[in-house]
Amino acid sequence: MSDSENKQAGISREMVMMVVALTLVTAIAAALLGLTDQVTREPILEAQRAALQRSLGQVLPAHTNVPMDDVIKLGEGDASTPFYVARDANGVVLALAWEVVAPDGYSGSIRILMGVLPDGSLHAVCITDHRETPGLGDGITRNRKWIDFFTGKSLAGTHWAVKKDGGEFDQFTGATITPRAVVKAVHRGLGLFAAQRDALLARAAGK
Amino acid sequence: MADMNASKMSKSEIIADGFWHNNTIFAQLLGMCPLLGVTTSAINGFWMGAATVLVLLGSNIVVSMIRGFVPRDVRIPAYITVIAAFVTVVGLAMNAWMHEMYLILGLFIPLIVVNCAILGRAEAFASKNGLVDSILDALAVGFGFTFALMLLGSVREIFGYGTWFGYPVLGENYPDFLMFILPPGAFIALGFILAGVNIINRRMNNRAENAEPACAPKAYVASEKA
Repeated sequence: MSDSENKQAGISREMVMMVVALTLVTAIAAALLGLTDQVTREPILEAQRAALQRSLGQVLPAHTNVPMDDVIKLGEGDASTPFYVARDANGVVLALAWEVVAPDGYSGSIRILMGVLPDGSLHAVCITDHRETPGLGDGITRNRKWIDFFTGKSLAGTHWAVKKDGGEFDQFTGATITPRAVVKAVHRGLGLFAAQRDALLARAAGK
Repeated sequence: MADMNASKMSKSEIIADGFWHNNTIFAQLLGMCPLLGVTTSAINGFWMGAATVLVLLGSNIVVSMIRGFVPRDVRIPAYITVIAAFVTVVGLAMNAWMHEMYLILGLFIPLIVVNCAILGRAEAFASKNGLVDSILDALAVGFGFTFALMLLGSVREIFGYGTWFGYPVLGENYPDFLMFILPPGAFIALGFILAGVNIINRRMNNRAENAEPACAPKAYVASEKA
């Protein structure tokens, strides 16, 4: 009787020790994480803003305002798309930039920032995020000529497809799916702009 | 093996063992996921290795400090918690101050948690050794891992893109050799590197044994069987 009681007391002491040890380790880890989050939160936001600013600089013509802070939103709530506005010194709208997502990349979504002039022609596009195969599909970021081919294109007068599908855009050797997804997404983006053009430009000008 | 007598190892043995004889990649073939995933270039290999060194250092230090306090039965969850915390810290820091490299390494940073090499060092070394030895072990193993990642990244970048750390070394017009950039190239390059490592080890063994010069190969075969 007393033996088994002792044994049980021993086991429960071990159990308590385990709980205490794990609780302490977890608490210290949590404190460390909280501290790191505090320290890194601002720099992370800044780094993301800097990355966006670099991309915006690539797709917008020379401007004097800060497009990142000159935003009009299309749509409601979380589903809204921010349009970044580039203006000259007189406040005249030079171009709009916004992000489109190609959900049908070879591996996951491809995010594309596109800059469009008020007449609906592309100023430039920039791939901001992708997981395409290195050496094949990632030509969309490494092949300058391919990405520059978008400049000046607009909805009318361009066949929006890769050459394999009878269009104007090159595919890469061994990678058709990636360029096809990008071309389709940019085409969709231009369609969205054409449908909302007057409203968007009016709101941008009136701001 | 060597870890059984870990407590009796001298400092130089810890370093030689962690960096070379028991190298995570060359000898143990652990951590293959980041090895094959991120080594498309030398610089990627370097930063992946650097992130791993920091995690390894943090986890070895903490595990060594709590080794007398955490009961045996719950040591694995405790170690994993410590490792996961350091991985998150390193991930957040890279996101904040090395944003572009963070985007490139992406998923492989959080995956450091499941790099069995790190839990392996916590369990096999830091949980049985003092603070200084554990720090030495983390640095030796970590730099050995980084060296392996950089070596493989260099081979793949040079043959794949004709560049090294972004600088052209095989001429401006080098045609990309895709196979080295794609996963099969990682396996093939790793195979050749392992072969090279084995040759070096053989030479080192032969020299150490100081076998009769006339029948050196035979002496080696005998020692390999024993």
